[in-house]
Formats: sequence, structure tokens, C-alpha cells
Amino acid sequence: MVLSWLARGLLAIAALGAPAAEAAEKIKIAALTLVSSAPLFIAQDRGYYREEGLEAELVFFRAAQPVAVAVAGGEADFGVTAFTAGFFNLAGQGALKVIGAQSREEPGFDFSAYLASNAAYAKGLTAPDKLPGHSLAITQHGSSFHIMAGLLARKLGVATKAIRMVPLETLPNMQAALKTGQVDAAILPGHIAVELDRAQEAKLIGWVHQWTPYALGGLFTSTRNVQERRPVVEAFVRAYQKGARDYHAVMNKRDAAGRRIFEADAEPIIAIIAKYTQSTPEAIKAGAPYIDPEGRLDVGNVFEQVALLKEEKLVDPSVDPARFIDTSFIAGHFNLPR
Amino acid sequence: MSAREVPFRGGGFAPRQLRGAGLATAAVVLVAWESLSRAGLVSPFALPAPSRVFSALFEMARSGELAAHLQASVGRLAGGWAIGLATGVTAGLAIGISSLARSVGLPLVAALFPIPKIALLPLLILWLGIGEAPKLATIALGTFFPVALATASGVDQIPKSLVRMAQSFDLSRWAILRTVILPGALPGILAGARISSSIALVLLTAAEMIGAEYGVGALVLQAGHLMRVDRLLAGVVLLSLLGVAIGAALGALERRLLAWR
Repeated sequence: MVLSWLARGLLAIAALGAPAAEAAEKIKIAALTLVSSAPLFIAQDRGYYREEGLEAELVFFRAAQPVAVAVAGGEADFGVTAFTAGFFNLAGQGALKVIGAQSREEPGFDFSAYLASNAAYAKGLTAPDKLPGHSLAITQHGSSFHIMAGLLARKLGVATKAIRMVPLETLPNMQAALKTGQVDAAILPGHIAVELDRAQEAKLIGWVHQWTPYALGGLFTSTRNVQERRPVVEAFVRAYQKGARDYHAVMNKRDAAGRRIFEADAEPIIAIIAKYTQSTPEAIKAGAPYIDPEGRLDVGNVFEQVALLKEEKLVDPSVDPARFIDTSFIAGHFNLPR
Repeated sequence: MSAREVPFRGGGFAPRQLRGAGLATAAVVLVAWESLSRAGLVSPFALPAPSRVFSALFEMARSGELAAHLQASVGRLAGGWAIGLATGVTAGLAIGISSLARSVGLPLVAALFPIPKIALLPLLILWLGIGEAPKLATIALGTFFPVALATASGVDQIPKSLVRMAQSFDLSRWAILRTVILPGALPGILAGARISSSIALVLLTAAEMIGAEYGVGALVLQAGHLMRVDRLLAGVVLLSLLGVAIGAALGALERRLLAWR
């Protein structure tokens, strides 16, 4: 008792003696408990926000949509989620600015996989380029899966409609439909795909990165922050990039044969991610996406995504990616449209 | 001794339906909401003005989309609910009159009723595929249990003396069932129908998670994913109108069937 009083007194004196630090800028970061948000967690855990004079609070959400809504509505300052038609529709209304990248489908890094049902495989659906004319399970029209299928259709030179998309809302529903041959194919996260293939419940016929490398998602803030708190946004981006570099250094490694490897130096990063996502190291390794060390975005690819979703009437014709992407915060974005 | 006149005090509260009060409330809410939106106090992507919701509804009606959604959903509701109602009433009557059915049925119903039917969707896909069957099954499953319970308790509430009298007149079991049990349980059955009709509407959205191209539930889900809040609210208005229509139809049915009370 007395000791604790004494300790508090000493602390108070120490605080008085410390140089009065500048009042830290408070920021709220909306995040999902997914590995793709790792740079946010690393920056928080290693104090990169603090070094930039930011006092960051992470607010966790269960689904991607509320993250974007929270940032657009001003309840959070920054967010990281996957691109969907819903995200583009919201961003197109002017309240959001995409300032960097989340993760991406990078050649050589297995992340999302195409699967064929056993029945469809036996009838010749042995590669992704044979998907046109078949049914494909997705979560919802306009979801990441829809975008992946649409990009594949474009690459193959067919209309997106050529792949018949069946919305089933959840991953378990998609797996059930695939296993029983109710749908010919599905796109699923790699670790689930590998499991299904190993159990011979479906056939893994290819990886999305082999066909359509693409920008999975973005780092974004509110338009108001860009206009009124530019230095804060810049400071946040520097901290995010430090987190992304830390991730890239140990989590994006491949061996001589091109296989993904996680060495001992990845352990501390995996431990940080485990702390924020509440998942096991095995699950983190299995679901770790490629994250650009500088947060650079494949801008041209985002334009393509918006264009294909507009063709499908899932994104409003008024939505213009040039107006919701702000490339001024990070140098070296890819495929900048002229 | 002087007599004091006592006014009648036993009127109770006796709430009456005030004519037009419901419509007036709706009008006040709509006007307030519209003016808040117009004044820019509510952001349009969080809550679009009612005029935008109705124009989305109108747009869907003109393109024929609305008819397609309604047709698909009404078909599913009618089919699934009919199955749930028929099997539920049968099971409830059996539980009400037979010891064996009661001993087997009640624990089963108690164990299965609380299961959230949405959790069973992957199983329903495995068993029934992704066509209309799992959608009907979701609604039928959800409506079966409340109907069965309401019917059984309806039977329980029939005065035993009525049944005994019928028996002492040596009526056949079938005649007793038809003339005493069924009419006596009807209030319970209708209460079950009312409760289960709203459950059916709630489950419609869950049912249409599975590969539905059209349907009001599918419309609401997709509009939510696409951040088209005007269309989402238009779908919600449709669901609510469907609920009101079903409630009105059941009310009319109740008045006809229970005129003897």
C-alpha cells in the first residue's frame, strides 16, 4: 500500500520533470482481425505511430463494409480492407480517398485458388481457362471473388457473364456446394483450397496469381483528413510503411525453388500478428498474403476492377477511380493511368 | 340514510384503435426523416431520404425487377410456410392427444426448436443442393416448431369436460377430433400461424442467401453488399409490407373462423 503510494508519487515527479512533449495527434484506425491488416498491427506494436507523434487506437470490426463506412462517416481515420463493388460505390460518393495498398495477388505467392468440383474436373474442367460456361460459387455479386472471376474472364477475352456466378453468402456454404458438385467451381482462400484438394473433396486447378495478379485491397482515409489534416495522414503513412517493410522483410520470402518459406526471423512478426488476430502461427502462415513493402498500389488494376464491375451494373456509372485514389502520399504506385 | 349516486367507474382502460393514428404516425416519421436528410443532417450513404428510397422502389417496379423479386419470395414463403404449417399442426395435434407422441415429440421439439436455422445452411446445401429445396426447407423448419407448440397448447386448453361429454355420447375418435379437438385448438393454431408468419419473413432472407438470383431477401442482401442503401431500404419496406399484408390476411381469416366464439 505505502509502497504503491510512494511509487505513484515518484512517477508523478518523474512526469513533471520530463520535457513537455507535443500533444500527440489522436487517430483511430479501423481494422479487421486479418493478416492482410498486419502492417497496422506491427506499427502499433513496435511504436511506429508514437514515433510519428500519433496516438493510435485500433478499433476492430467483423466485416469489411463497416470499416469503410466508419472511415467515410468520420468515426475512424484510417482503414484497410479488400476492394468490392460496395467499397467502390461508397468511395465514389466522395467521402473516401484510397492512399495506398492492402495486399495483392503477386506472382509466386499462393493466396486465392481456383477449385473444380470432382464431377466437373472429371468432365474436363482441369484448368482455370476452361471456367467460361461453368458455374462458380462466390459469396456475393460484387465481392472479391466476383472481381477475380471478372478479371479472369477479361484475360480470357470473354464476357464476365460467361462464368455463371452463384452467390452463396459464406465460405462454408461455398465449400458445401463445391463438395457436392452443386457448382462446378469456386475460388477460395488457399489454405482451405489445399485442405479440400488433399481430402479429395475437390480439385485445386490453379492459383489466382498465376492468371490475374491484382490489387486485393486498399489503405484509405477520409477526404476530410486529406484536406484538413494532411501532416497527420503523411505521418500515418510513414508508420504504415515501416510496418509493411517489417512484414515484407520476413513474411514475403521464397526459397530457391520458389516456394514460400517462413524462417526464424519471421517469428516475432508472426507473434505480433497472432496477438491482434487471435489466430495460431500455422493459420497465419497459411493465410499470409503478399504485402508491398511501401504500400504501393496497382492503380491501373483498380481502374480495371471498377470498369468490369460497372459493366456488370454493380458499380454506379458515376464512380470514377481517378477521384477517389490519391497517389500523392506514396511514391512509386504501379500502372498509373495517363 | 341518504343515497349517494355513484357514477359508473368500471370502464377499465379499454384501448380503442384510433382511426388514422397509424397512418398519421407514419406520415410524421417520414416527413421528419425527409427534412433531416434535406437539411444535410444525416449523411445520404448512412440513411438516404425516404424520397430516394421510394424512387429506388419505383425504378425497380418500372424495370420489372420488383415483380421478379416479389414473385420469387412470395412463392418461397407460401411453399415453405405451407409445409411448416401442415406438418406443425399435424405434429401438434398428435402431441395434444397421444401419450406416445407427447413423450417422444415434446423433448424433440424442445431440443430442436432453439437451433438457429442459419447455422444449418451448409448442411441444407449438402442434403438438398442449391435450388429451391433448401430455401423451402429453411422456412418450413423455422415455422414447424412454433406451429407445433402452439397447436399442442391449443389442444391442452380444450376443457376436458367437452371431450368427456363427446365420449359419453359414444362419438368415434375421428368425430371427436373433427368436432371438438380441431375447433377447440383453432385459436392456438391461428396464434401459431401468426407467430410463424413473421418467423417465415425473417428466414426468407436467410433462405435467399443460397444461390438466389431473385427474391426480396436476396435484394436486401445484395444491396447491403453493394452499399446501395436506397435499394436496401426499399427491400426492407417490401418485407415490412409483406408482413403487414400477411398479418391482415390472417386477421380476416381469424375473424371468419372464430366467429363462433
